[in-house]
Amino acid sequence: MAFDDFTLDAHGLPAASTADTGTPRRRARPWLVRHAREIAVLLLLLLLLSPFLWLVQLAFRPAADIFEDRLLFVPTLEGFASLLQGNFLKSFGNSLLVSTLSTGLSLLIGVPAAYALTRWDFKGRRHVALWILVTRMAPPIAFTIPFFLAWQYLGLQDTVIGLAIVYLTFNLAIVIWLMQTFFEAVPASLEEAAWIDGCGVWQGFWRIALPLTAPGLAATAVLCFIFSWNDFFYALILTRTNAITAPVAIVNFLQYEGWEWTKIAASGTLVMLPVVGFTVLVRKYLVRGLTAGGLKD
Amino acid sequence: MSLAARAGGWQQQRARAYRRGLAPSLAVLLLITLVPAAALLVASFTPLTLTDPAASFRFDDPLVNYRQLLHDERFIASIVVQLKLSASSVLLQLLTGLGLALLLDGRSRLLAGARTAFLIPMVLPPIVVALIWKILYTPDVSPLHRLLEAAGWPVRSLIANPDTALWAIAAADTWQWFPFTMLMVLAALQTIPDEPLEAARLDGANRWQLFRHIVLAYIRPVLVVCGLFRLIDSFKAFPLIYVLTNGGPGNVSEVTNFYGFIQAFNFSYWGYASAIATVMLAGVFFLSWLVGRLGWSDHGVR
Repeated sequence: MAFDDFTLDAHGLPAASTADTGTPRRRARPWLVRHAREIAVLLLLLLLLSPFLWLVQLAFRPAADIFEDRLLFVPTLEGFASLLQGNFLKSFGNSLLVSTLSTGLSLLIGVPAAYALTRWDFKGRRHVALWILVTRMAPPIAFTIPFFLAWQYLGLQDTVIGLAIVYLTFNLAIVIWLMQTFFEAVPASLEEAAWIDGCGVWQGFWRIALPLTAPGLAATAVLCFIFSWNDFFYALILTRTNAITAPVAIVNFLQYEGWEWTKIAASGTLVMLPVVGFTVLVRKYLVRGLTAGGLKD
Repeated sequence: MSLAARAGGWQQQRARAYRRGLAPSLAVLLLITLVPAAALLVASFTPLTLTDPAASFRFDDPLVNYRQLLHDERFIASIVVQLKLSASSVLLQLLTGLGLALLLDGRSRLLAGARTAFLIPMVLPPIVVALIWKILYTPDVSPLHRLLEAAGWPVRSLIANPDTALWAIAAADTWQWFPFTMLMVLAALQTIPDEPLEAARLDGANRWQLFRHIVLAYIRPVLVVCGLFRLIDSFKAFPLIYVLTNGGPGNVSEVTNFYGFIQAFNFSYWGYASAIATVMLAGVFFLSWLVGRLGWSDHGVR
């Protein structure tokens, strides 16, 4: 059930009609038109992804070569090496730490809640669900002003813990929202059987429902990690020096350290590496998470 | 009798167990979303600033900030900029996303691979997206500017020019978010049954007619929801503006979110910034309510 690609085939037509003839819509088209489409797709891929590829190639260019027009060059790791000297590694570590911490916390608190919301029909359930959706919608600036003032008062400003707590504002909503869809896929009769055998509600959850949703749990964790990792706004405001995260460090390169494009491009490449890696690994579930709340499935 | 009583006891026991599972999340959400929202609302009624902390609990003129907002030309201008940016980029995203989804809806390895590759802009850290476009708009290192120059058509940096700065940001924003519409439309296309298409084709409908009368009818609700989702999210656009133009040149690319950020964290007018954030929050609530009215928000709640 896990990490195959998201070609939506599952909903498709019976295998007999698709395997050798293609979908009916395509069958009607002549051979040439079909290939015109593939060529168009390739050209669009190149066009739309070229800004992204340009950043990556810039990271490997020798610094002296950066304003040259040549497309071919001898790649170097100078840009990456120069990152080792400064504080960038520390901010990279902070990003890892804060994302992991926030992901762990939101799973710990959110997964049982998602289970309860799936299995327990109580009055006001709709309102709770709606509230959780709205927290995903709220503009971050509405939270940052109170958090900024409160964190100063509580001494949580510029700490990894403080930032991880703030990330719960969006991560908890993601966990509760997504895990509900995974728990719904587990038939309740399995747990009912366990209850008859004398299991408590949470024993049934721990021994039956949770293991069955393990792939979904992993995907949810990845999404939480990505959302925390990608955050810029909260980190910009709530950190200064100690807990600074990698995205904020990149902006500091842009603003304070002149225009060392190779170094800047190398830092950008490093920061997007985990995210692009995860995308390839769990794209199917990623898609479900990215469209959460927008699609009924 | 005793059996029924025992069953009732089990029901209560279950409800208690579920409540225990739900309580921590609700408590945390209360603490980190509702309490700050309430604090924001309270702060918006005070003239709270860094220079005058004693004013934090003065409520003698609670509506002063909101009255000032009405006369603040920079605030009004920021709303206009926001509307221009949101409308243009959401519209472009919908068109690009829809076009690509129609193009990529098929079953070959190439199309499946392209569907994944086109996700990249959306999952990239927003700051990296901003970096990519900063490079693209900086004549020294930009392939775009080099091409134009080679063609004998040198242009100024688009983000330094007040006439084009906002549209340059809209282009970058469109690039970042077209995959969202693409994904949603691709999913919706899968739900279209084959019968009406077959029937229309037998009746001699051409491809444009098929799209216009059948496909579009099926995916219209998804497009509406997509538009609303993206509209809500577009109010949060920050890294692109912060890195590309910093609200400038002048104030031409200063959206409401960015203006609130400046008032709070550059000028430390927290009371005033809270009022701006409250207005934004109200706008988001209204749009969320609209999404809810369209019946799409009860995902997972039946």
